Amino acid sequence: MIASVLAHLLRFTVLILIQVLVLDHLDVANGQMVPYLYVLFLLMLPFDLPAWALLLIGAATGLTMDAFASTPGMHMGACTVMMFLRIFLVDLIAPREGYEFGMKPTLASMGMAWYLTYAGALIMGHHAWLFLIEMYRFDNFLSTMGRILLSTVFTLVLCLLAEFLTARPKRGRA
Amino acid sequence: MRDLFRFLFRVRNVLLFAALMTVSLLLLYNGNMHHRARAITSSNALVGTIYSWRKEITDYANLKEVNRRLAEENASWRNRSVDAYTPLENTFVRINDTIHRQQYTYLTAKVVNSTWHKQMNFLTLDKGATSDVQEDMGVIGAQGIIGVVRAVSPHFASVKSVLSPDLEVSVQLRGSAHFGLLRWDTSDPLTASVVDIAKHVRVAPGDTIETRGGDGIFPRGIPVGVITEVEPDAPGIYLGITTRLTEDMTRNGFVYIVRDLVKLERDSIQQAHSAP
Repeated sequence: MIASVLAHLLRFTVLILIQVLVLDHLDVANGQMVPYLYVLFLLMLPFDLPAWALLLIGAATGLTMDAFASTPGMHMGACTVMMFLRIFLVDLIAPREGYEFGMKPTLASMGMAWYLTYAGALIMGHHAWLFLIEMYRFDNFLSTMGRILLSTVFTLVLCLLAEFLTARPKRGRA
Repeated sequence: MRDLFRFLFRVRNVLLFAALMTVSLLLLYNGNMHHRARAITSSNALVGTIYSWRKEITDYANLKEVNRRLAEENASWRNRSVDAYTPLENTFVRINDTIHRQQYTYLTAKVVNSTWHKQMNFLTLDKGATSDVQEDMGVIGAQGIIGVVRAVSPHFASVKSVLSPDLEVSVQLRGSAHFGLLRWDTSDPLTASVVDIAKHVRVAPGDTIETRGGDGIFPRGIPVGVITEVEPDAPGIYLGITTRLTEDMTRNGFVYIVRDLVKLERDSIQQAHSAP
């Protein structure tokens, strides 16, 4: 239990640092693609957390990002939206037998099809809120839609890479 | 009554969600509209410290460029120094200056973090309240304006860059003093628009845009941009003007924070005058 909490805290710290020290300074396609890999921390939160905990952890993570990005409330709102979606999405795309004990919302544990739906939809929700708020004025709607789509793909690819690189081979199964 | 509680318990997650979203929107509103009461900005100590570590490392990569720019700036100061002029007569005349009074003082600061590819951009500087930096002070670079201080902590200041759609700087045409506002609505970090210049004004690409001064933020005459495009057929009574910013916002190393020594005096007279 404690080990698991520590692992999540460590992941939180590492991902936020990667985000603010490296990814925030990337310039891909003239600012059209901005990856927000720190949401991987929220994606990997365990299934057995109650909904209120998910919402609060989401809001706190967003606030931390806001502190670095000087954007009070922006990431907080996006992460809260994302965690709210997650509550419903996880039930909606549950495997036929439901979630078994020990299952984790990771690529290795749930398989490619489930993970793409899960991560894709949640990242899209997060980015949509973030970029629509960031746009501040709704004058170039199409370009913002483009940013949302491109950045979602970018973040999703980074999440998949991270999942591939950190997945340990399964024990116990041949 | 019990039904009510049961109902509230059933929708508790929706309520929590609504509460958190309200907080986030309030923060967003307060953060953008008023620049007061913001504990959460990049000027707070932990965030500033982490960004300065990053800067320590990335600084080495930029040394060559920084040197070049400092040398250029030195040359421009040298051009203005007494040594650069040959005296017309062989006697110095010392004038005890009673006409000019210093109005602005400058403080150098290092940019420890900056963004330029977002839709709203900020810089973090390594000088803060202990160096007498205050909100609403202008920030300029060697080539032109950069932004306005929005929040300060003891050792850091958070600056809203001119690359923010809601920061409008009062600017004028060099020479003719027709004035307008600089507004960043081009989504391109190298250019911005000048709005509110009437159609009868003669403007041509290549003309220089400079600060108008008088707002207590920037001194008059700091270069802002060079006009690249004039649209005489823009809708309305104003010209559509695009300008290339003279300061390259994608690479600021050292900047100057401007302190207006008579700001308080001007603000108080303007306030007294506009009070009902």
